[in-house]
Amino acid sequence: MTSTVAPTVAPTVAPTPKAPLFGDEEKRIVLDPLLDQNPITLQVLGICSALAVTTRLDVSIVMGISVIAVMAMANVAISLLRNLIPSKIRIIVQLVVVSGAVIIVDQVLRAYAFDLAKQLGVFISLIITNCIVMGRLEAYAMQNPPWRSLLDGIGNGLGYAWIICLVGTVREIFGSGALLGYQVIPDAMYDAGYVNNGLMVLAPGAFILIGVIVWVLRWLRGYVEN
Amino acid sequence: MNTNSNSYVMTFAVILCVAVSSVLAVLATVLKPTQQAAAEFDRQKNVMMAAGMITRDDSRLREELQKLYVDRVKQVVIDTRNGTEVEGDVDALNAAAAEKDPKDAGRYRSIEQALTVDGKLDALIMPVSGKGLWSTLYGYLALDADKNHVKGIQFYKHGETPGLGGEVENVKWTNMWIGKEILNDKGELVSVTVKKGKVDQSIPREKKHYVDGLAGATITSNGVSKFVLRDLKAFGTYLQKN
Repeated sequence: MTSTVAPTVAPTVAPTPKAPLFGDEEKRIVLDPLLDQNPITLQVLGICSALAVTTRLDVSIVMGISVIAVMAMANVAISLLRNLIPSKIRIIVQLVVVSGAVIIVDQVLRAYAFDLAKQLGVFISLIITNCIVMGRLEAYAMQNPPWRSLLDGIGNGLGYAWIICLVGTVREIFGSGALLGYQVIPDAMYDAGYVNNGLMVLAPGAFILIGVIVWVLRWLRGYVEN
Repeated sequence: MNTNSNSYVMTFAVILCVAVSSVLAVLATVLKPTQQAAAEFDRQKNVMMAAGMITRDDSRLREELQKLYVDRVKQVVIDTRNGTEVEGDVDALNAAAAEKDPKDAGRYRSIEQALTVDGKLDALIMPVSGKGLWSTLYGYLALDADKNHVKGIQFYKHGETPGLGGEVENVKWTNMWIGKEILNDKGELVSVTVKKGKVDQSIPREKKHYVDGLAGATITSNGVSKFVLRDLKAFGTYLQKN
């Protein structure tokens, strides 16, 4: 057993004078949330919007991009301010920054993707309440420098986006027989008596689907609940 | 620096709020023209959808659809009092009328005429709007050239509950309106009423003038019946005259 740590002991992670722009650590920050630390399948966050907006792939893609943009902006902003933010009001400060980022995304969508903005409607505004966003701000951006926070935001946003796009793909194919609005199930199948699965259009369909994805991913990655 | 002193917290909060709101204000101002153009295009599309000229999932490009609107749809302003077409901007005319008599604030209304390829009147598209349960609904009701049969109805803006009152957008429901009559056998305006429950097809009066109610959205349904009748009344003089 060692004695108490002397104050002179060098810090375990020495700040390298010239940190690589995209080294192993940065790679890990982006790639981890895709599988091993996926916000939806592992942390089971952001489920509400994943259920609501995934009836079609195009809407899922736009929602995914919006979440990535919001997380990137909010993470960088909070990371830049991290040493100035009074800890007493840090949650409110995070909320203000997230709301600002969400309004920016909403306004841009209304100008350049009016139809999709209309379909997403209130769910864009509800990104504010997406637990992933606040979770990353509190857990990562408050302690880490801007560049890594940006990567963390993009990584977690991607982790969310690819899952909802997967759900959106399956739901659109089996719920509406189409993908990105184009019919993929041939008329011959409908003539032969095939019917679209109504469950896939409704929220319970997404719920079951996400459950299956969580199970498959956890089984593939050998995740064990502690 | 003590970042937890009350004065620091206050100053920080104020600066943050001002900074964020300035950014948003600038952005909103910059994007406004683009947003308005997008909203106007959406309105034009809904006019054409109500008139049955295009379907909701029309895959044509924005430019083509805008050209179709310019070519085939004519917007006119009418005086609801005497049913004549007038020149000028509808808002300016209403403002001028309201100055003389406050009750005249809605005297002038715009109406759109869809024309066939050879320039004949194909449909009359009237804006309809009014209160549902939570919000004001905005839409278009299109009548055939005979000014009796409904050609289509579209709602393009509302804040009703998705899945309940929000079903006013559902194509299955809006299709029920097609072919209904707004005039009874004597030629009086009775409008189309949203029934509570299903329409009984064996009763001729119901078959002609009623559509199925929206399940779980009685107040929205009643609202739609009410404002469609009110707006049709406002256009009544014009419809009779032309």
